[in-house]
Amino acid sequence: MIDYLVSVLTEGSIFAIMALGLNIIWGWSGDFDLAFYGYVALGAYMTLVLTIGPATSPTTYILGLTLPFPLAVAIAVVCSMLLALVVGAIALRHLRGIYFSIVTLGAVYVLYVFAGQFVPLFNGYNGLSGLFDPMGDVLGLDFSAYPFFYLGLCVAVLCVVLVLVTRLSGSRFGLALRSLREDERAAAAFGRNIYAMKLKAYVIGAGIGGLGGALFAGYLSAFNPSAWSPVETIVLYAAILVGGRGSNRGVILGVAVMVMGLQEATRYLPEIANQPSFAPAFRLILTGIVLVLFIRFRPQGLLPEHRMRDKDPADTGGTSVATGSAVAGATLDTGAA
Amino acid sequence: MTALLEVQDLHKHFGGVQAVTACSFTAAEGQITGLIGPNGAGKSTAIDLISGFKVPDTGTVRFEGKEVQGKTPHVISRMGLIRTFQSPREWPGLSVLENLILAHFEPRRERFWRSLAGPSRLERERANDKLIRARDILDEFGLFHLRNERAGILSGGQKRLLEFARIRMAEPRLVILDEPMGGVNPVLGERMATAVLGFVAAGTSVVIVEHNLPFIERVTDQVVVMAEGRVIAEGPFDQLRGNPAVVDAYLGEMPTYDDAES
Repeated sequence: MIDYLVSVLTEGSIFAIMALGLNIIWGWSGDFDLAFYGYVALGAYMTLVLTIGPATSPTTYILGLTLPFPLAVAIAVVCSMLLALVVGAIALRHLRGIYFSIVTLGAVYVLYVFAGQFVPLFNGYNGLSGLFDPMGDVLGLDFSAYPFFYLGLCVAVLCVVLVLVTRLSGSRFGLALRSLREDERAAAAFGRNIYAMKLKAYVIGAGIGGLGGALFAGYLSAFNPSAWSPVETIVLYAAILVGGRGSNRGVILGVAVMVMGLQEATRYLPEIANQPSFAPAFRLILTGIVLVLFIRFRPQGLLPEHRMRDKDPADTGGTSVATGSAVAGATLDTGAA
Repeated sequence: MTALLEVQDLHKHFGGVQAVTACSFTAAEGQITGLIGPNGAGKSTAIDLISGFKVPDTGTVRFEGKEVQGKTPHVISRMGLIRTFQSPREWPGLSVLENLILAHFEPRRERFWRSLAGPSRLERERANDKLIRARDILDEFGLFHLRNERAGILSGGQKRLLEFARIRMAEPRLVILDEPMGGVNPVLGERMATAVLGFVAAGTSVVIVEHNLPFIERVTDQVVVMAEGRVIAEGPFDQLRGNPAVVDAYLGEMPTYDDAES
């Protein structure tokens, strides 16, 4: 039971990291990006080829180094960001809304088929494996203690990511990104370089996605194309929508509800004879129903995006310059958490 | 009187339609310049060309002596030329106060690394000054009690006021107002006339596109008349009243401001 709980929590924190990344792209700057899982996958692949050592026949893949896990993760994140820079530079130039989504969907399918068909890259559809308990031997952990360590690692990384995105979210950068989401022509009229800002948000979001992918590779110890069918992105979108689009805490809650809650709950459905695909199908149906209900009845999500609240100046005293600086300054800078 | 905005021989066509043909006019510093003309005269296209939202085929636009044609909207905006749109374009999901705070663009503070590091002490103080200024402006426009509401829930008239409040916050050198009186009732109209005059007092020159002629008569120093993509007349409104070309193209029987009042 405890093992099960540890694995659910580990997976949950990894998905929460990914969802926080996607939330920057969709929640803040407002681009419905369907290529996101491509960055997650690249993060996972790069981590594997940088850590699992040279390929042995019949498998083939590039690099095949044995770098320390943290270094491999860092390089993987950079790779995801570079890929996002290329895709984003093309897709964000003139396309918005559904047209942007279609182009990113095209991009992720190209990557998906390429990774599957071009075997020398990441061993095709068979994928990569062999990353067992990263950093476990350095730290002298045996296989029974290791899952706890990895859970701790994932939660720690999640916390760091959460602190950083919360900071960004409440900053002027985060607020300005929201203005692009709300009305980008007005944002341009008031001096914002829309393309540059959207591209920045896109690359940062993809980098966080790649980080999630890298941790995912360490957790699964393997990765292949079936692990990243573009449908997986929808699960992340569902989590963001249910939790509260644009809200970081909401996204974490959304992952808890939709990824950990819903997915794990449906795992205990009774098996139906001769219908082994019933449970996964039912899970997707249930996800769809929950999504529809939320869009209809609570589109802002469980924990809606926080708005800057300005207190009544009368409450802070007549000399609002002196007393206001603590109160008002803080409100301004932690506005959109 | 020095020309703040100089538009010379601007052309723009869409397919076979010549939207703007040889459009030339100037807007002087410290003045309110009206831009009038019948529907389809090319006024809105001219504004788009000046503010960078569309690229002219040929012609030059000089703002404070610098050529800006073909530059992107944000570059022109940062130079101090801000425009509004025919329908109010507030940021609906953000609060009214946030709309105001964002209207004043601070390039340094919005940088990624700066945002990650957090504001410096000086910036914190400036942010506080800015907040106080935003409150004052909202108070002036009667929106103070709505400052924590989402801008999307405001009424049409309040959105117009918010648009004006944002311009006050941004303090541009020149603002181009695209039909600010659309759907505005007379009482609010009076308030907006005062606000337009207030822009000039605060150092922002104004170009205003409007169909409400009594309003144009009341606030403008100079009027440019466009028809069929070209400028057909330019001068103070009183002079244009007697200009046969203008009467023919646009004015016809024209009420005076006093008629509209009664």
